[in-house]
Amino acid sequence: MSEFLGNAQGALAALYETLQASALLPVFTDPAQLSPGQAVLVAVSVLFVGTVLRNLWGGQRTNKVKLRAEFTPAINHPLIFFLGKVYYHAPPPVKAIPCLTPFGMKLETYLRMADIPYEPMYDWSIGPKGKIPWIEYNGEAMGDSGLIIEFLNREKGVDLNQSLSDADKAVSRAFTKMGEENTYWGGARYRWIDNFDTVHEVLEVSWIVKILGLLRPVRSTIRENMWAHGIGRHSRDEIEGIVEKDIKAVSTFLGAKPYLMGDEPTEADAAAFGQLSEVCFAFPGSYMERLVTVDCPNLQAYVNRMKNRYWPDWDELTSKTVPIS
Amino acid sequence: MSESAGHAEGSLAALYETVRLLTDPGQLSAGQAVLVAASALLVGAVLWSCCGRQNKVKLRAEFTPGKVYFHAAPPVKAIPCLTPFGMKLETYLRMADIPYEPMYGRSRGPKGKIPWIEYNGEAKGDSGLIIEFLNREKGVDLNQSLSEADKAVSRAFTKMVEENTYWGLVRNRWIDNFDQLQELFEVPWFVMFLLRSVRGKVKQTLWAHGIGRHDKDDLEGIIEKDLKAISRFLGAKPYLMGDEPTEVDAAVFGQLSEICWANSDTYLHRIVTVDCPNLQAYCNRIKDRYWLDWDQLTKKSKKDQ
Repeated sequence: MSEFLGNAQGALAALYETLQASALLPVFTDPAQLSPGQAVLVAVSVLFVGTVLRNLWGGQRTNKVKLRAEFTPAINHPLIFFLGKVYYHAPPPVKAIPCLTPFGMKLETYLRMADIPYEPMYDWSIGPKGKIPWIEYNGEAMGDSGLIIEFLNREKGVDLNQSLSDADKAVSRAFTKMGEENTYWGGARYRWIDNFDTVHEVLEVSWIVKILGLLRPVRSTIRENMWAHGIGRHSRDEIEGIVEKDIKAVSTFLGAKPYLMGDEPTEADAAAFGQLSEVCFAFPGSYMERLVTVDCPNLQAYVNRMKNRYWPDWDELTSKTVPIS
Repeated sequence: MSESAGHAEGSLAALYETVRLLTDPGQLSAGQAVLVAASALLVGAVLWSCCGRQNKVKLRAEFTPGKVYFHAAPPVKAIPCLTPFGMKLETYLRMADIPYEPMYGRSRGPKGKIPWIEYNGEAKGDSGLIIEFLNREKGVDLNQSLSEADKAVSRAFTKMVEENTYWGLVRNRWIDNFDQLQELFEVPWFVMFLLRSVRGKVKQTLWAHGIGRHDKDDLEGIIEKDLKAISRFLGAKPYLMGDEPTEVDAAVFGQLSEICWANSDTYLHRIVTVDCPNLQAYCNRIKDRYWLDWDQLTKKSKKDQ
């Protein structure tokens, strides 16, 4: 044991010697001694090392979420059956829409369609996968609206797709994926890149946030994400063309039906409404809004139908908004 | 005025001091040299990420007007093209009877991706946009027998398989089964070092896309559901939308062919060949119809030369 300590001490001493000899130590211990040129070089290399470290480990870590200290648990006992409570985390409503992320609109609509009681925890906290919305259930955090829905289906014995054939369930999944993995990015590009100036109004952020440019890192992240996804490599016109074809496909498939898969709403309607509600209400003056409200009026009617059925408290939620400061 | 001139002179002097450090490396101590190198790298990285995005492609000096020059990675023993979008685009060209000249190489297209084509002296990227362009240019419509609603379903399946299922293949090939890559790509052992750095980039890409945030089991569950959805929708039909192949078959075959022939001993392969045998039969059907030269192309790969 003492040998080990001796070795450790020796190693530390050697490290100190090396730092001293290499003239690096003064850099860290007495910055006042640095000339301006050296100070610039030190600052730049610290930034560089920090960026490299962040890229290697920081950017991809699962998010440490802060959970509630107390929660209503699920109890599965032959004699006692107590339904666990869903604590639903999403950004607070704004004037335009109850939730600014289409996946939040989707998840909350699903909870209402499935009659699952939930407690909204309106905040800007990020979930375990670094995204929003997310839920807490039985003391555990869960992320990704699709995985959450599958989990709650199993946990609560819900099946909104029970009336569908296997082939229709497949079509339902295909439209959900198209809306969420393709069309969604058109909205992100419009909101965060092409119309960044209006995002502050839609999000209802205070002028301080706008002046200080605090949302600019979000914009950069979205640009990076779109580039990695692939769709960010297209020109603006190309992206708009792709999104237009997606939206027209949904409209064509919906046709004269009240809901996507038929006479009654199914899971795909939560997903489609999630994306289309944002377009209808939170993208004012956009080409996407024009597509949904003017070019494809059956989509506008569909959105209103879902809104009236599952969001009778829409006006109440959106008028109680508190600007972000 | 003189005060500001004095300030300007002072700042120029400080700048000159800094530049002097950079221009006479011999005077630098070891520590200073490290700092200079680090900041040079940082500046370079910033410039590259700002300006280095658009890919400058090298076009042919001479071309035949109206001819499609198809750029993709060369065939390997496992499959004629290692990217599903290359298999998709080439299958489409064969389905549409559009003559093309394969230009096998490692060059990337104007959007930094492969495959890409040259047409009338212009480079074009993205298989979907290329197909739309060639449809207009060559008067092709593989979907003409479909109703409007079926065209919509067709688009939905194409997008699901290309924007979701595809990433399952990427994750499996580059992350979970990286050891098989050397054999699949048919590269010598020292190229693997380069591929390792690509692997890091792929991880970042998966994260940025979103799907990389799931753990292995969650991701495999998602991809399994995609593949089973395709299988159930296909059912007993010969092709996805009915009795005759349409555009979506090129897209779906593009992805499934990689799983069938270039992704052995994986859960993906098991789902397509064992759990959903109609998918394996579907892949064979399209391969036998549009890839009569499959064996010829894949035998000519470097392995046998």
